[in-house]
Amino acid sequence: MTTSAVVDLRRFACPLTYVKTRIALERLAEGEQLEIWLAPGEPVESVPRSAAEDGHRVVSVERLAAPADGFRVLLEKGASAPGGLP
Amino acid sequence: MSGIPPAALDDARVARWARQLLVPGLGEQAQLRLAGARVRVVGADAVAAPALLYLVQAGVGKLWVDDPETVAPVDAGSWLYTGAEVGRPRAEAAAEALARLSGLVSVEPYPTGGVPTATLVAAPSPAQAVHAAEAARRAGAPHVVVEADGDGGAIVTVPPGAPCYNCARSSGAGRPPLPGAAALAALAATELVLLIASPGTVPGRRFDVVRGVATVRPTVRLPGCACGAAPTAA
Repeated sequence: MTTSAVVDLRRFACPLTYVKTRIALERLAEGEQLEIWLAPGEPVESVPRSAAEDGHRVVSVERLAAPADGFRVLLEKGASAPGGLP
Repeated sequence: MSGIPPAALDDARVARWARQLLVPGLGEQAQLRLAGARVRVVGADAVAAPALLYLVQAGVGKLWVDDPETVAPVDAGSWLYTGAEVGRPRAEAAAEALARLSGLVSVEPYPTGGVPTATLVAAPSPAQAVHAAEAARRAGAPHVVVEADGDGGAIVTVPPGAPCYNCARSSGAGRPPLPGAAALAALAATELVLLIASPGTVPGRRFDVVRGVATVRPTVRLPGCACGAAPTAA
């Protein structure tokens, strides 16, 4: 599986980290993969969890090679989440 | 504010609507549909004010305020007017107040002949509400109608093809609106945002809000109502 898009989000904070991840995923087809780079701490703890809650698959989470600081997270787009009020 | 919606959200728009972009079912395409919408709001009194504010903050592209009356002293306590506007045309005063809230939304008094893509009706009388809703239905535009009644009331959501407002409206006029009707208008604006942003996902339905508690049920077409007839060629 090849990665369809790579987005560096290390300079963003919550909620923009996941907002931008969500927009990037929206632009992909189901099953395509997105690579995002996240800062240590809250971003790498929260974004993969939010993606999983939205129905996407967290393929891997690994440290970026030095001297870069941060994490590479690989996501696979799942089916779109339903919307609207009940 | 340009008249042409962007093909993708830029950083300023993503930052502005970040929280809304996280709502389940919404996203970039939904936000772009909002940016491309021309929304007519019928009524700009104290009941309609929260809906007008919500629609601006939600990012509809063009908001048309349709109200022929002037700002009354009773409007001064609403969410939109400060009191200094008493005596001014409501549509004009509302448009000015709303335009200050966002540079990404165009707000104007409703122009004669304007063709909206969606309508929110918060008219002060049942007859005006029926008239405005019927105009939206005939134009094929999704619309939501607010019926204030004291601190509560009802809203009727009408996507294209659903039972019309006349099939689902209350009989008679409600009590004069109280401040709690603000929640009703905000709910109506939420419904309209969903109709625009996620077409096809919101059914025809009616919310009744009593003492702050909302119940919802599907709307049902009245036997023989013209809204069930097949459209005829123009």
